[in-house]
Amino acid sequence: MIRLQNVWKEYGGRPALANINLHIGLGEFAFLVGPSGAGKSTLMRLLYREETPDRGSVMIGGVNLTKLSPRQVPLLRRRLGIVFQDYKLLPKQTVHDNVAYILRALGVDESDVKRRVQSALCMVNLEHKADAFPDELSGGEQQRVGIARAVVNGPPVLLADEPTGNLDPSTSLEIVQLLERISQRGTTVLISTHDHFIVNELRRRVINLKDGQIVSDVTSGLYEVETA
Amino acid sequence: MRQLRILKRVAVETVIGVKRSGWSNWLVISILAIALTIFGGVLQVTMAMKNVVSAWGSQLEISAYLKDGVNATDMARLCSQIPDVQVVEIVPKEIAWAEMQSNFKVAAINNPLPNTLHVKLSTVDAVEKTAGRLKALDGVEHIRYPLKVARNLNRFRQFLEIGGAIVTAALTAATLTVIGNTVHLVIQGRQREIEILSLMGVSPWYIKGPLILQGAAYGCAAALMASGFLLGLHLYIDPYVHEQLVSFLPILPQNMDTGAVPTFFVILLLGMAVGAGGGAWTSGRYIKI
Repeated sequence: MIRLQNVWKEYGGRPALANINLHIGLGEFAFLVGPSGAGKSTLMRLLYREETPDRGSVMIGGVNLTKLSPRQVPLLRRRLGIVFQDYKLLPKQTVHDNVAYILRALGVDESDVKRRVQSALCMVNLEHKADAFPDELSGGEQQRVGIARAVVNGPPVLLADEPTGNLDPSTSLEIVQLLERISQRGTTVLISTHDHFIVNELRRRVINLKDGQIVSDVTSGLYEVETA
Repeated sequence: MRQLRILKRVAVETVIGVKRSGWSNWLVISILAIALTIFGGVLQVTMAMKNVVSAWGSQLEISAYLKDGVNATDMARLCSQIPDVQVVEIVPKEIAWAEMQSNFKVAAINNPLPNTLHVKLSTVDAVEKTAGRLKALDGVEHIRYPLKVARNLNRFRQFLEIGGAIVTAALTAATLTVIGNTVHLVIQGRQREIEILSLMGVSPWYIKGPLILQGAAYGCAAALMASGFLLGLHLYIDPYVHEQLVSFLPILPQNMDTGAVPTFFVILLLGMAVGAGGGAWTSGRYIKI
């Protein structure tokens, strides 16, 4: 589903990613780990086409992202669910409207919007907060709204960039378990994180980045943080 | 159906955007209304002056004196076929001589006057050209027309046209700047939202469309205000203008039609076009998706 071949990305002459080769299959669940500056966010940004590689190819679902025209980028992003560390919710819209936004922008019939939003909110256990505004929710609830928004359009791939970065350990675990449940429905899920606690709890595939290179890729792995 | 729903959503987003702009809506509409009022005023004065100039121009007459033995009716028919000729009046030499004899003390001699054609034109522009054509006709002995007046009228008309175009261009630029700055403020206020929408895969035109429509809505509201103001001004000053000028220059009030309805449509179209253009230009410049 996700394939990177010989991918290089440099910033100011310094490589952020160096010769990355990676394949993540359909419905697979994987963690992308590494310390700050390892290149996790750069790799994620390549996947949702916020950046393009200097060399190599990035493919999602058979589509080569390096060859996409700017007009095709929105079409790609509609096939991706993206979850952010800072949730990126629209502050002046209710939970329901935040989740419904993309469906309405795509011209989905309002009754269908209502049904799909309810289903997404039910999945993240927030149907009772549909009329609340983001600032009335806890961090964990806001992130669950972000996840509901990411999956409401039924994307085959879900990318979560440090989704637990602003959350306490128990809430983080809840969020990652929620993402794992979504993966079990057939969605490919890639989570970038430096939180070794959640990675070690789930024991799933772990791709370890360091200085822009993949140093290990283990199927049921652990994330061992180096201490100085 | 899907496209209609999307258009409806764009309209809803536009209304939300206008609501969010709050008091700054009135600021930008007021500034635009002032610009459009000045533009409409200049347009109406220009149109009125052009009408007056045209009316004066149509009073200009070319006199063509015919050679002896030339049939005046045939010549008049020939003249009426020249472009821009509106009316050809034949003044037979007998009538001219009789008038001269009744007005002046004239010696008892044979009638020395020629048959004359008085030629009126549809536009003052054509006076010199038509005079040249008339002079070139075989049966015409001599022609006479107020060359200096015709040239001055033409110059004045050209001045009005160029002046009007310059004022229009300046006001359009000012209006574009005002709209552009307002939409820029809206974009800055929604920067985070725009980033989120872009990452969600919302089409660029869905993001920019409401900003363009918002600019057009400003233009429309400002045009209505400007038209209302100009209408009020007309109701107030028109009776005065007609009353004062009728005794001074009878030709003026009859030709002072300022074209209120066309002006309204021009203001409305210009306001909306400039508003939408300002929105499109600014959103294209500042929203990078």
